[in-house]
Amino acid sequence: MTELARRTRWAAGLAALALTAAACSGDGDKDDGDAKAKTFTVANQEPGHLAPGAANDSYGIRVVNALFDRLTRLDKSGMVVNEDAESITSTDQKTWTIKVKPGRTFHNGEPVTAQSYVDAWNAAAYGPNAWDNNYYFGNIAGYDALNPEDPDGDGPQDAPKPKTDKMSGLKVLDRQTFTVKLTDPFSQFPLTLAFTGFAPMPKAATKDLKAFDQRPIGNGPFMISGSGWQHNKQITTQKFAGYRGSRPAHADGLVFKTYASRDAAYTDLLANRVDILETIPPAKVREARRLLGNRFVTTPGGTMDYLEFPLYDKRFQNRDLRYAISRSINRQAIVDAVFNGAFRPTGTIVAPIVPGYRPNACGLICMYDSRPAKKFFEKAGGFSGTLELWFSNADPSYEQWMTDVANQLKQNLGIKNIRFRKVPQADYLSNLTDHKATGPYRANWVMDYPSAENYLTPRCGPSNRQGYDGKECMALIRKGNRAKSIAESVRYYQRAETVLLKDLPVIPLWNWQEQGGYSKNIGNVNFDSYEAGGGVHYDQVTVK
Amino acid sequence: MTEQPGTPAAPPPPTAAAPTTAAATAVVGGDIGGGAGAAASLWRDAWGELRRRPTFWISMTIMLVMSAMAAFPGLFTGRGANDRCDVREAKRAPASWNPFAGGDHPFGTDAHGCDYWAQVVHGTRAPIVIGFSVTAISLLIAVTLGSLAGHYGGRLDALISRITDVFFGLPLLLGALVVLTAFPAHGVGAVVLALGLFWWTSMTRLMRGQVIAVRDADYVQAARMLGAGDVRIMVRHILPNAIAPVFVFATLNVGVVIGSEATLDFLGVGLQYPSVSWGLQLREAQDIFVDQPYLLAYPAIFLTATVLSFLLLGDAVRDALDPRLR
Amino acid sequence: MVPVLLGTTLFIYVLVFALPGDPIRALAGEKPLPDSVYRALREHYHLDDPLLVQYGRYLFGVLFRGDFGETFNGQSVGQLIADSWTVTAQLAATAWIFELVVGMSLGVWAGLRRGGFADAAVLGGTTVAIAIPSFVLAYSAQLVFGLKLGWFPTAGTDDGWPMSYLLPGMVVAAAELGYVARLTRTSLVENMRADYVRTAVAKGLPRRRVVVRHTLRNSLIPVVTYLGTQIGYFMAGSIIVEGIFNLPGVGHELWLALQIKEGPTIVGIVTFLVLIYLFANLVVDLLYGVLDPRIRYD
Repeated sequence: MTELARRTRWAAGLAALALTAAACSGDGDKDDGDAKAKTFTVANQEPGHLAPGAANDSYGIRVVNALFDRLTRLDKSGMVVNEDAESITSTDQKTWTIKVKPGRTFHNGEPVTAQSYVDAWNAAAYGPNAWDNNYYFGNIAGYDALNPEDPDGDGPQDAPKPKTDKMSGLKVLDRQTFTVKLTDPFSQFPLTLAFTGFAPMPKAATKDLKAFDQRPIGNGPFMISGSGWQHNKQITTQKFAGYRGSRPAHADGLVFKTYASRDAAYTDLLANRVDILETIPPAKVREARRLLGNRFVTTPGGTMDYLEFPLYDKRFQNRDLRYAISRSINRQAIVDAVFNGAFRPTGTIVAPIVPGYRPNACGLICMYDSRPAKKFFEKAGGFSGTLELWFSNADPSYEQWMTDVANQLKQNLGIKNIRFRKVPQADYLSNLTDHKATGPYRANWVMDYPSAENYLTPRCGPSNRQGYDGKECMALIRKGNRAKSIAESVRYYQRAETVLLKDLPVIPLWNWQEQGGYSKNIGNVNFDSYEAGGGVHYDQVTVK
Repeated sequence: MTEQPGTPAAPPPPTAAAPTTAAATAVVGGDIGGGAGAAASLWRDAWGELRRRPTFWISMTIMLVMSAMAAFPGLFTGRGANDRCDVREAKRAPASWNPFAGGDHPFGTDAHGCDYWAQVVHGTRAPIVIGFSVTAISLLIAVTLGSLAGHYGGRLDALISRITDVFFGLPLLLGALVVLTAFPAHGVGAVVLALGLFWWTSMTRLMRGQVIAVRDADYVQAARMLGAGDVRIMVRHILPNAIAPVFVFATLNVGVVIGSEATLDFLGVGLQYPSVSWGLQLREAQDIFVDQPYLLAYPAIFLTATVLSFLLLGDAVRDALDPRLR
Repeated sequence: MVPVLLGTTLFIYVLVFALPGDPIRALAGEKPLPDSVYRALREHYHLDDPLLVQYGRYLFGVLFRGDFGETFNGQSVGQLIADSWTVTAQLAATAWIFELVVGMSLGVWAGLRRGGFADAAVLGGTTVAIAIPSFVLAYSAQLVFGLKLGWFPTAGTDDGWPMSYLLPGMVVAAAELGYVARLTRTSLVENMRADYVRTAVAKGLPRRRVVVRHTLRNSLIPVVTYLGTQIGYFMAGSIIVEGIFNLPGVGHELWLALQIKEGPTIVGIVTFLVLIYLFANLVVDLLYGVLDPRIRYD
C-alpha cells in the first residue's frame, strides 16, 4: 500500500495532494439507476471540504471546479480571460472594479450578482468560520477586522470576536458591479480570481454554511445530484441544464469516486472500472505507458520540488555548502530512477508553464558535477555532525528520492553520517514554519495561479520558512506587483528569481509532469495544465 | 472471564499489524505442562524425538544460514550496507535467474542502484535481532507477570489480568506508532522497544494459565506442606513444569515478530534509512514489482524462509514435547 | 468489563494525545494558516482543552448523547464507524466462511490420512501461507487473479458482496487457514484414539460411520471455539488488505485517522474494536460451557 493507501481527509499540504490521483469510475449509469444517462466517473480521494472558500486540497478543488464558475479562468496558454466577469479594471492596481455578467444563475435558479461574490469572499475571510482558504483574502482591505489577533497569543485570554463580518474593501455599486480595494497594489489580481476559492455563493447558502459545505450550490456546468457527497464513497453530479457559461457539459453527469489511494484507483483504471485518473503514480508510469497506449497522457505541471535549507541553523549559513550540495545531486538520474523519467529536472524556482520562466535560470550551480561539488564542499570547510534530511510520510516517493540524495551526498561529498527525519504529515509543516528543522528538507509548491509571484513570495517574503533574509528579492517582487502590465511585472519577478538563486536558500530539484489516463468508455478527454484541481476539462468529456 | 489452560487462547489483538501471536497459541495446542512429572526427563525425551524429525533439521539449517548472514554479512558480500550505490544503475534485472551464474550483480540492482544481493544480505540482521529481542522482552514480562498472577491469584491476579486486557485490546500499530515517534531515527532499538512494549499480552495469559494448572498439583502441595517458601516453590516446582508451552510459543513468536517488523516497515512506520531490512526492500518493491518482479521476490523468499523456519521449529518442539501426539 | 473499557479508552486517549503533530496546522497544507482560523478550528475540535477535560467531554458525549465526535471534514464519527463497519463485516464474513470450509476440510483430510502425503502437504502448505507476508500475498493475488486473469474485481466495493470481497477475503483467511487446519487435525487425531472410538470400531462399525457420527462431532469443539474468537479478530479489519483492495473498512479508516491524528476517529474505532473483542471472548466462554459440560465456572 504504498503506503497504506492514504486518503487524506484534508489537505496535508497541497503538495502531497497533487501527487494523489483521481480515478474514475467505470460505468456511471449504474450509479444513477438510469440506463440512458451518459455519465462518467473521475477517481478522487476524500476531500476535506466542498465549499469553495474552504476546499484547499486537490480532491476538493477538483470537485469545486466542476460545480462553480469564477470571475475569470485560464486559457490554454495560461492567460487570464473573463468568465463570469464582464470586465475587471483598475487604474492603480489597487482598486479594482468588477462587472459581473447578467443572466447567469446558480443551480437553484438564483441569479449570480455582485453580491454573490461579496458574500462568498466575506464568508471565507471571516476568521471564526475557519475556512481554509481564508489566507487568500488577506490582501483585501478590511481583512484584519475579520481576523483579530489574540491579545496574549496562546494564553488564557480568548481572542475577541470580530466586530464585523464584512470586509471594508468590498463595495457593491449596483446589482452586477462591485469594487475591491486591496491593501497594496497587485497587478496579478485578475489571475488569482481564477482560483476556486474565489467562487460566488448564493443567498440560500449564507444561512447554513455547514450545509453548503456538504452540499454546495454552484453556478458551474455540473450540479450536485442524488445523494450528493457520500463520504468515502462518491460524489454524484449531473449536468446543469440552466448553464449559460463558456464550458457547458457534454455528458449527462459526472461521479467523483472516492479511492483510498491512487494505487487502488490506478488498478481500477487498468480494469476499465474507472474513466479518468488524473495522477497516475510516478512509479507506475512505465507500466501505464505500455498498458494504456494513447490513453496515457502526460501534461506539464505547475508543481515544483525543492530542497530548502534551515538558514537559522548556523551550519547551513555557508553558501558554499549549499552550492556543494546542489552540485552533488544528479537530478536527472533520480528522476529516471524514481519517477521513470516522467518529471523534469529544473534549475528554476518558477515552473516552466508560468509566464516569465527562463530555462535553467540557476546556471551551473544547479547542474550535477561531483568535482566542483567537492571543491565547494572543501571551501565551505566540510560538514561536521549528523546531516539530517527531513521529509514527511505523506508519500513513499519522498523517501525513495531522499535515499538517492543521501547516497549521492555520501558518495560525492563524503558525508558519512546521514540520517532521515521522516515526520508524520500532521507534524511536518508546523516543524518547518516553527523553524525546528535540523537539516535540509523537502519542500514543494503547488501553483495557485500561473504567476512567478506565486512561487517567489513564499520563499522571499518576511515569513519564509528558511529564515532567509529576502529583503532584496522581496523589494523586486513588490515592484512587479505594482507594475502596470503583466509583461512589465514579469521582468521584476525574473530579477527577483535571480537574486534568490544566487543566495540559494532553496535548491530547485524538478518540475512535476502530470500523468493521467482514461478508460475506453469516454472520448474528447483534454488534459490541460491550467485546469484547476486536476487536468481534465470535465465539461468537454463525451461518453461513448 | 475464566482462562482455560490448554485451549486456544484469546483472539489476536485487533488490527495488529500481522499474523498475530495469539493465533500461535492455537498451534501450541494441548496442555503440556499440566501435571507433568520430572521436567528433566521431559526435555530429554523431547530432544530424542526432535532429532528424528526432518523438519527440525531443515529449519535449523535455514536458521543457521540466516544467523550467519546476520552476524557476519562480510562472509557473503564484499559490499557494505548502502555501499557504492549508483542511481544511474538502478533497477538492472539480474543477468540470470541463477544467482550463481556470475556477473556483477547476482540479484540485480535495486531502485537506488545498490547491489541487491548485498542489500538482501545486510537486510538479514535487523529482522533477526528484532525477532529475538522482542521475544526475549515479552518472555521476561510474561514469565514475571504470568507467574505472579497465576500463583497469588486474588486481587493481584485481577489487576494484572485487567491491565493485560487493556493492552490486548489495543491495536499494536497505534502503540507502536506512539512509541516510535519518540525516536525520530527509527533504528532497530526503537522498533524493538515499540513492539516489545505491546507484545507480551498473549504470552502472559498463557503463562498465567499454565501456572494455575500446575500450582494445585500434588507435588506442589507436598512441597508447600514441607514448608518450602513461595520463591522456592515457584522457581523449583512451578516454573519448570509450566514453561514448556510458553517456550514453544516463544519460538513460534520469533517468526511472527519478524513478520510484524516487515509489516511495520511496509507501512512506512518501521525502520528507516540507513537501516537495511527485508521489510524496507518489500516496501520499495511494491510499486514496481510488475516490471521488476525480482525486487519483490528475493526479499520475500528470504523473509518467508526465515519465518517458516521458526514456525516449523516451534511445531517440531511442540510435537516433541507432547507425548500424546507421538 | 466496564473498567477495562474505561481504562482502554483513557489509555487510547493518552496515546493519541501523545502522537506528535498539530493536526490543525497540517490542515492548511503548504499555505499559511491565519491565526484566527487556527484558533477557531482548535476551539471547534476542543483541542484547546486539557487532556482530562477532552476525555471527559468525549465520554459524556458518547454516553449521554451517543455522539462520537466529528472528523475533520465534518462527518460524524458514529456514521463513519457504521459505514466502515458494514464493509469490514462483509470482509470478515467472507474470510470466516472461507476459513471454516476450507480450513476444516483440509484439517479433516490431513487427520484421516495422518502421516501420509496429504497430511504433509496440508501442514506444509498452510504453514507457508502463514509465513508469507500478507502484503506480498495481497499484491500477488490482485495482480494475478484480479488484473491478469480478470476473475475478480481488482479493488473497491462496486460489485457488492460477495464478488468484491472474495479475493480480499481469501487473502485474509489464507494466513489463518493453517491454524484451523492444524487444530482440526490435532483434535481429530486425538479423538480417533479415544476409548469410545476403539469401542465403536471393536463393535464392528464401519470406519466412515465412526468418523462421521462420533469423532468429527467431538473433535470440532475446540475448532468451533477457535473460529468463534476468529470472528472477533476478523472484525477488527485489516489495515493491509483493506488498503490494497480499497475497501473502506474500520482497519483502513483507523490507519488514515492515525496519519492525520484525528482523535475522535481513532478513539471511536479502537473502543469499538475493544468492545467487539470483549464480546467475542464472552461468547467463546459461554460456548465452552455449552459444548463441553465438564467445564465449570468459578
